[in-house]
Order: sequence, then C-alpha cells, then structure tokens
Amino acid sequence: MGAPIPVLEASNVQSDFLRNINFNVSEGEIITLIGPSGAGKSSLLKLLNRLADPETGQIFFYNKNIKEYKIEQLRKRIGMVFQSSSLFEGTVEDNLKFGPSLFNEWEHEEGKKLLEIVKLPTDFLSKDVRELSGGEQQRVAFARTLANRPEVLLLDEVTSALDVKNVEVIEQFIKGIVSKEVKAVLMVTHDIKQAKRLGDRTFFMYNREIVEQGDTRRLLTDPQSGRLQAFLKE
Amino acid sequence: MAPEISNLSMFFLIFFVLIPVSLSYLYSLGLSGPILWSSFRGIVQLFLIGYILTYLFSLEPLTGITIMLTVMILVAAFHASKKGTGIPYVRPITLCIIVIIEIFVLAMWLGFQMISFQPDQVIPMSGMVIGNSMVAIGLALERMKSEFKEGESKITAALALGAKPEQASKILVRKIVKSSMIPNVDGLKTIGLVQLPGMMTGLILGGVAPIEAIRFQIVISLSIFASVSLSAMFVTIIFYRFFFNENQQMIKIEEN
Repeated sequence: MGAPIPVLEASNVQSDFLRNINFNVSEGEIITLIGPSGAGKSSLLKLLNRLADPETGQIFFYNKNIKEYKIEQLRKRIGMVFQSSSLFEGTVEDNLKFGPSLFNEWEHEEGKKLLEIVKLPTDFLSKDVRELSGGEQQRVAFARTLANRPEVLLLDEVTSALDVKNVEVIEQFIKGIVSKEVKAVLMVTHDIKQAKRLGDRTFFMYNREIVEQGDTRRLLTDPQSGRLQAFLKE
Repeated sequence: MAPEISNLSMFFLIFFVLIPVSLSYLYSLGLSGPILWSSFRGIVQLFLIGYILTYLFSLEPLTGITIMLTVMILVAAFHASKKGTGIPYVRPITLCIIVIIEIFVLAMWLGFQMISFQPDQVIPMSGMVIGNSMVAIGLALERMKSEFKEGESKITAALALGAKPEQASKILVRKIVKSSMIPNVDGLKTIGLVQLPGMMTGLILGGVAPIEAIRFQIVISLSIFASVSLSAMFVTIIFYRFFFNENQQMIKIEEN
C-alpha cells in the first residue's frame, strides 16, 4: 500500500474563533470533530471552503494553498452540508441542479442517480421541497451538495435534528461514499457514539483549539487530556 | 371654475379633528396630543407649501422646477435611506436612484408631450413619482435587510455550492422585487372602482372634465408603476453586493 495522499492540511491557523489549529486529512478518511458548543468546530469547517478566512496560518488542499484556487471552484470541490437543510424554493430538481447549473454541468438523468445515492424515490425530482419531511429534506441537501461532485465533504451536525431511522440512512450513506464519490469527509457531531461509528480519526476541540487528535477508538477509550476525559464523562 | 372654500368653512373642519380627539379621550388612548399636533402641523405645512408653490409658479419655469425638484429629491433620498441604516453609501446611492428615475420619467413626459414644461404640471406630478419612489426604495431596503438576515442560511448554502454573490442573492432578490411591486399591481387593478385617485379627484374638483382628468391619471399611475418597479430593481441590483466581502463571504450589516 502506498503512502496516504494528503487532501487537506492546516498549519498554525488562527482566527477570532480559533487558535493554533494544525492537522492533516488524507484520502479515504472520515474525520469526526467533537467538543462542547462554542469550541470552534463549525468555524473550523467554514475555513476549509473559505466561507470564512483565518487571520494567520495557511490551509492547503492537495498541497496548494486554498487561497490560490478560484473561490467558486474551491467550494465546488469542497462541498458542505449544514445542520438545517436550507433548501431553496422550488422542486427537488431545482435544488439538485443549482450547483451544476452554475458550472453548466447539469443533466436531467443525473438527478435520478443522486436521489438513488441518498435512498429517495426518483419520482421525488418533481416534488416541491415543502412537501418533504425533515429527514427527506436533509437527504436532498446531501444530494444537492453531491451534485457538484465534491472531493471533500464538510458536514456540520447534519444529523442532529433527525430521527433514528434517518440518522441510520445518512450514516450508511456517508460510509458508502468515502473513497467512491468523495475522497474525505470532515464531520462535526455532538454524538460521541456517532463519532465512534463513523470516524477513522477524531479531533477533540475545546475553547477554540484542537486539544487532542488521533485514532477515534484510541482517543475515545484512552483520552490523554483532562479536558477530553471530562467531556467524555458528561 | 374651481370651487373655493371660505375661511369660515375651513374653520368648521375643527369638528373632523374633534372626533378622533374625543374617541381618544373616551377610550383613554392617550392620542389627543399627537392628533392635535399632527393636525396643526399638517395644516401649517400645507399652507406653507401652498405659498411656496405660488411663488415658484411665478418664477421662470426652469428656475422654479429646478428649486422644487432639488428639495423634493433631497428630502426623499434622506428619508428613504434611513431604512437602509448600516448599508454603506446608502444615502448617495439612494439619491442617484431617485435622480435617475426622475430624469427618465420627466424625459418620457416631455418627450412624448404628455405634459408641458410648466411648474404647475411638472412639480405636482414629479412629487407623486418621487414620493412613491421614496416609499418603494425604503420598503425594498428594509425588506432586503430582513431577507438577508432571515435567509442567511440559504445564501450561505448557495455560496457553499459555488455561487457568486450575485447568483446567491438571486434567491432573495426575486422575492424583494416582487413584494415591492405587488401593492402597485393590486392598486392598478382596482383603480377608480373603489376610490377615485387623488390626482383625478383634484382635477375634477378644479373644473377639468372627467374624461380629461383620467388621461392625466393614467399618465401618473403608469409613471408611478414604472418608477416603483425601477426603484425596487435598482435597490436590489446595487445594494446586494454590500452584504458580501471581496472573498465572496457574507457579512453582517450592523445597525448604527
């Protein structure tokens, strides 16, 4: 097996909401970010597709500083799904084609494939998004992001508002797409068990910094820092 | 001949003021003071503008029209831009929008000889266009701020999909323009059926034949419709960019 290919790397990143952030993510990895509210997990994700910029430090995407990419192209390649589905008015297809249409890449057939990936019936394409349940809306939001064929997927507490059944579907789907549709996933979660189920590696954030990072199983069974030990006991 | 209202007749308008004052007293609304003050202020302002217009109408048309339109436009821009507090350059841009709309409408009126370049025609008709533009711009600015605040997650989602600010804003811009135009679309549907429009009423009271009065009313109604639509469109296509920084990231507009 060859050496892991680095996808994302952060070096000494600082901002109003983050300090001294250093990490790297390789192809095929699912990284889970855990920590108390306000620790800076969502702020960190937003730096990676430049929805915000750090004050100092650098972030690299495939060994190239993210500031050297065209912003639209970077955001296309590093897709993001949010806690709220934030679907646009219109049909499911209107939402799915939003991203690809910006780059003149949309084909109607693509919509059906995307719905199959997120396990929704293909006749949903013409449905008004207001007719969908919360879980279905979140799955459409996933499909909308995947429509851009991103290489990295940033997930910001995407299952926190969903019922057990929808959480299961989305977790299976996340496991299934890594190394196929996307190269790496970074996922913020409040659910330690979810981090255990999905994360290859986990970053524990506290008070705007990554206090501990490493193999998920090791990190959660043998935490080194007092902060993480206390967090896991909560 | 235009009907005249004597000073004595005007005096009896006091009864119209006493009705709301009595109601306020009866229901303890605490509005007696504001009702009396606003009635007094309104009367004084109208008399004042009556004298000013009489003076302006006596001047050379170009001088009178220029003075009055300048004042109207400045006041309208000042008031409309208040609704956009916190948005950079809101006052000068609002001023430019109103000037452009007024020039466009005036050029249409004069170019197609709908009215002549006389203060008694240009000033009241421009006043209606400028006033309606002022309201439309104010509404669009207010709506824009609230839509960008409430729709922040959708705009962020659009940016995250690779949309440029202009493309991401389109999600909300359609709503803002539509909501600014709907009152006028609805108003035009019932015009003359529910109430006679103010300008037409004024002309009929002034002795103009109804069939002539409606011509002026059609000119002004459609001019207002066009200027309100343009106001909303200009506001949205110009001001959306101030909700983003140069890195295509959303920024919060703070109230000053």
